[in-house]
Amino acid sequence: MIESLASTQQAVVGVVLVWASWFKLFYRNAPTAARRSALKKVVGEERVVGAYRTVGVVEAVVGLLLLAPPAIALEAYAAAALSLGMLGYLGFAKWRAPDSSCGCLGDKHTPVRGRGFARAGLLLVLSVLGAQATASWLERPLATAGLLVVELAAIVALSPELDHRWLLPLRRWRVRVSHPLGNRPMEVPLESSVQQLWKSPAYESVVRQLSSDLLDHWDEGEWRLLTYAARTPDGQMTAVFAVPRLDYRPADVRLALVPADEEALV
Amino acid sequence: MSDILGRRRFLSSAVLGTTATVVAATTIGAVAPDAIADPKLDVEAGAPDPNFVEGRITGIVGGLLMVTGSDRTINQIHLTKATSVWKLRPTTSDAAKVGDGLYARGVRMPDGTLAADAIWLNIVNLQVHITSIGRSAMHLDHHGDRIVGHVVAGTTAAVYNSTPAVSDLSLLQVGKHAQIIGAWRPDTNEVDIATVYAAA
Repeated sequence: MIESLASTQQAVVGVVLVWASWFKLFYRNAPTAARRSALKKVVGEERVVGAYRTVGVVEAVVGLLLLAPPAIALEAYAAAALSLGMLGYLGFAKWRAPDSSCGCLGDKHTPVRGRGFARAGLLLVLSVLGAQATASWLERPLATAGLLVVELAAIVALSPELDHRWLLPLRRWRVRVSHPLGNRPMEVPLESSVQQLWKSPAYESVVRQLSSDLLDHWDEGEWRLLTYAARTPDGQMTAVFAVPRLDYRPADVRLALVPADEEALV
Repeated sequence: MSDILGRRRFLSSAVLGTTATVVAATTIGAVAPDAIADPKLDVEAGAPDPNFVEGRITGIVGGLLMVTGSDRTINQIHLTKATSVWKLRPTTSDAAKVGDGLYARGVRMPDGTLAADAIWLNIVNLQVHITSIGRSAMHLDHHGDRIVGHVVAGTTAAVYNSTPAVSDLSLLQVGKHAQIIGAWRPDTNEVDIATVYAAA
């Protein structure tokens, strides 16, 4: 049982490595992805594309060796070494270039986070497991295929650069079917009244004397009242604006300036 | 509370004219726009603006806010009745708590304190991608960092394609870019959303 599991791991790691190398060697935007990756910090701007392709070649060689029979432990150890290197690279990226991309499995710009580490760790574990294999996975194609699908799904789930292929479409579909924020009560937000106020002649006439941001606001029938502090030649005032609450009529905005100390009259 | 309501009633009557007895309320037209020149900006290029303070509140002593700036400068800020206070929405000065982030604009007093005209508590302006939408919150990606944006009933508004703000959030889409103005919950990766700007 362990033996059959082990040979499957060789296939899984092989597929992931071939996939990663295919992207690095043949993808049209690979040079751009290379320049955005943390590899730039390691080898420098001029050599980054070459280094990126070299990594791709190494991955392709190890991946193809793992996939091709016979199963040799050395191949799996080579993959384990690659995974270890990967972990080291991620650690470096997190430390020295936290905003640059991993550049591992796709060209989506995704900074190195926990999932990237989990993926490299998983590959390392699978590679070590694969070293226990003595027979090629080709001898048990069906069992291998089943496990392969499950484990590849785990790898995909741990790859933030692939989220746009499955996770976002899934969430988009769910929001289209029933928008979670679809049935909120309709009301006129304060922001809308403030925007209308800014367009009004009344506001323009005093804007240079307003000293504060919005002080207070309340509704009075059809009107929404907004107050600001104002510094005028006649002293501290409170500017009171009445904005039509339900319509957009900035020309109808009304204004009164009330001396600040006379508010105590109430 | 009755104070606030009485004051509101008074100011409502001043602007809507329901009572004709408001003394000294100036109606529009009487104010000359150029009566006061813009306050002169005599700050040298690169020098800090003396009338602006940013930082976090490290203490509140009798209406005076002690603020430690991101460059470790310590400022004292006075709040008055004429100071506007924003914390997700316009609020009052007792909303200020130790630990809140703060931006303040005002006038520097001779004793070095800042008499604030306006303060904004915990305000953030974020360029994000919406990664998922739930019943009371949105998950946002901010340059690779995850942020939870809470939707606040009665406050959160949306501006689609630069049209007037609405309370309808049903046009927000997963995967799209958005700009969020909100109030940070100190020392978390969560914000309460005031306004979200998006394309629809």
